[in-house]
Amino acid sequence: MALAPPRPTIYEGTRIPAPIPTVLQVPRELREGEDILSVNFGPNHPSTHGVLRLVVDLNGEEVVGLAAVIGYLHTGFEKSMEQKTWWKAITYPERIDYVAFQYNELVFVLAIEKLLAIEVPPRATWMRMLLCELNRIHSHLVWLGTAALELGAISMFWYCFRERDRILDLFEMACGARMHTRYFQAGGLAEDVPPGFFDECAKFVELMPKAIDDYEGLVDRSPIWRERTKGIGLLSADDAIALGQSGPVLRGSGVDWDLRREQPYLAYDKVDFRVPVYPEGDVYARYRVRMDEMRESVRIVDQALRRMPGGRWIADDRKVVLPPREELHTSMESLIHHFKIVTEGYRVPEGEVYVAVESPRGEAGCYVVSDGGPRPWRVKFRAPSFVALEATATCMSNALVADMIAIVGSLDTVMGDCDR
Amino acid sequence: MPTKGPGVFENEVAAMEQAVGLTTLEKAVAWAQTKSMWPDTFGLACCAIEMMSIVSSRYDIARFGMEAFRSSPRQADLLIVSGRVVHKMAAPLRQVYDQMLEPKWVIAMGACASSGGMFNNYTTLQGVDKIVAVDIHVPGCPPRPEALMEGIIRLHEKVMAGVPPAYELRGVAS
Amino acid sequence: MNFNAVPGLVEVKQAHGETTLVVDPARLIEAALHLRDELGFNFLSDIAATDYLGWGGKGVSGSIATASGRDLNRPSTQGFQALPSLKPKRFAMNYHLLGVRAGAPRVRLQVWLDEDEPVPSVVRVWPTADWHEREAWDLMGVPIEGHPNLRRILMDDDWEGHPLRKDYPIGGEPVRFSGDE
Repeated sequence: MALAPPRPTIYEGTRIPAPIPTVLQVPRELREGEDILSVNFGPNHPSTHGVLRLVVDLNGEEVVGLAAVIGYLHTGFEKSMEQKTWWKAITYPERIDYVAFQYNELVFVLAIEKLLAIEVPPRATWMRMLLCELNRIHSHLVWLGTAALELGAISMFWYCFRERDRILDLFEMACGARMHTRYFQAGGLAEDVPPGFFDECAKFVELMPKAIDDYEGLVDRSPIWRERTKGIGLLSADDAIALGQSGPVLRGSGVDWDLRREQPYLAYDKVDFRVPVYPEGDVYARYRVRMDEMRESVRIVDQALRRMPGGRWIADDRKVVLPPREELHTSMESLIHHFKIVTEGYRVPEGEVYVAVESPRGEAGCYVVSDGGPRPWRVKFRAPSFVALEATATCMSNALVADMIAIVGSLDTVMGDCDR
Repeated sequence: MPTKGPGVFENEVAAMEQAVGLTTLEKAVAWAQTKSMWPDTFGLACCAIEMMSIVSSRYDIARFGMEAFRSSPRQADLLIVSGRVVHKMAAPLRQVYDQMLEPKWVIAMGACASSGGMFNNYTTLQGVDKIVAVDIHVPGCPPRPEALMEGIIRLHEKVMAGVPPAYELRGVAS
Repeated sequence: MNFNAVPGLVEVKQAHGETTLVVDPARLIEAALHLRDELGFNFLSDIAATDYLGWGGKGVSGSIATASGRDLNRPSTQGFQALPSLKPKRFAMNYHLLGVRAGAPRVRLQVWLDEDEPVPSVVRVWPTADWHEREAWDLMGVPIEGHPNLRRILMDDDWEGHPLRKDYPIGGEPVRFSGDE
């Protein structure tokens, strides 16, 4: 068993609060001595990234107690998916993490394919990777626009959403919808890539690095931005791993960990990309990780465009995949298969799997239990935002109210993902 | 190219305008309400991301005077309920609606706010019009920014025609 | 990787490239500490509680594929009624673990529980388990012993029942059709 590599110590010891790791409790001497004010942030609040409620105890401007209350967006995805067939259930996961929508879809479809042991054609694999990396850029753009908006750099919002609309145009061209594209099927893609998509995507790849330069030019050297993000929200590497953090939060604390490289899925082992790691463990480090990730994603999209294989876009397994419509006129078996797949649904063999991918927020996982029938028995999504919010109490040591906004923003939580 | 003639909605609004018969002062007040109807920051889920893109420069809601999203409901005129409302969130939603000053309008944006959407289960409110009075429902999952914009424009047309806000019509306690 | 030294080990299952360790719930904490300290699984990805009420109640007819893999050239078993394998108890708590080092080893730690049988909390082993265990209690009703803050997390504080259980109805409203009225 190989030992883990040595990790940077950003602060001594651990700052995880005890006895409850997710609740920062006001020390008793403060509660008796000072005038502690309990303030309720949210669930309707402009700066809390959706419906998050933070119950905060303030000693003046300093945050001395914090508890997060979630569940204001608990939509019952997992139980709803148990009622639908496998095909119809794929529509649900996209709405979980509604900013990086294709990752939830991807992880559920990969889990179904793992149980089915079905082989996905390379064109579908590379196209999935391309769309997911575009979705990663989209997610980081939404994050950057809203995080900067909350810190006061309001004009960043409009710059980021300019490129975001271009990405959504690409999604609309290939998948038919701007958001919640529902393009991945068990076995591949729903339809072939339309002509003209690759040219438009190549144009986007040309202009995106210059746009990222624009964003960095706006905030990176701004003294106000640095003042508000450097040294704020420290999280050491050991605390991050103990708290189950992943993605940019973990890489911003100095841990070199990326599922795309460690356990490659799709075609990530065939493309060349760097994994940005910053050792400082503060809000600025997480911001830099996401900015560099955007650049790396553009590189991956570029490589995928150049090396996109031709061929089928969905597997040939007629028990799972619909037959082409022309065949329905001539082949009886195709007609029956079509009927059975649409009405009853394809059957996924009995078993349980856990599949994890590297979503823009961290490790997004899906645990699927199948009883061999046409409907899922249990679907559980490992939500990176749920886990990221567990780290708020730890990051909040010696934070002021303004820092709290920056820290919650840097954890990049999406409440749909958190509450499912 | 032939220009698009008035459709059913436009004809109905015109008929209502004739029937209600606003005075010039009321018309002026309706015009003022329409041209700067400030929404409240009530983004809940996916529709909130499309609502954010309507603020962005491509779809630009600022040309309607509506880019000033107020965080305080006391300063807001319009509540765009964007996203699925669950039972736990129903009480804060009603509280925000109650804190808004009259006249106030509500747009139920998206399938989840209009009717519960694809989530017909133990936790999702099957339509936000169970707890607040809704003026306009915008279908879609999520609706395109242009679809939301059409909903907003129709709301403006309703207000200009003199149709009272939904709480006066529906009988839901306002 | 050799899992034979895990305390309380009942069974090791291998399927789809994944390893599942079934462990006695009374010795869960020891097993967790062994996995974290001796075998290096320092990252708890997820805790998933599953309710198997009604499992195997109806035969899943003509299961075309088997758990071990699928072969299109094998004659189909359509028409043969297959029953899924029986489960020992009603609830299963699955702890998905990961080792943050080269090779990314993953393992699933599984304990089986009856209804209202408590499971010890692993918060002191992996602090991230805090909210995962609260969710398992809230949605599935698995009592967690020794949890510092066992309250509802996703549902309302005064909600009755545990929604993700199989005997809890899906809820919602019946869909009205215009032809019915």
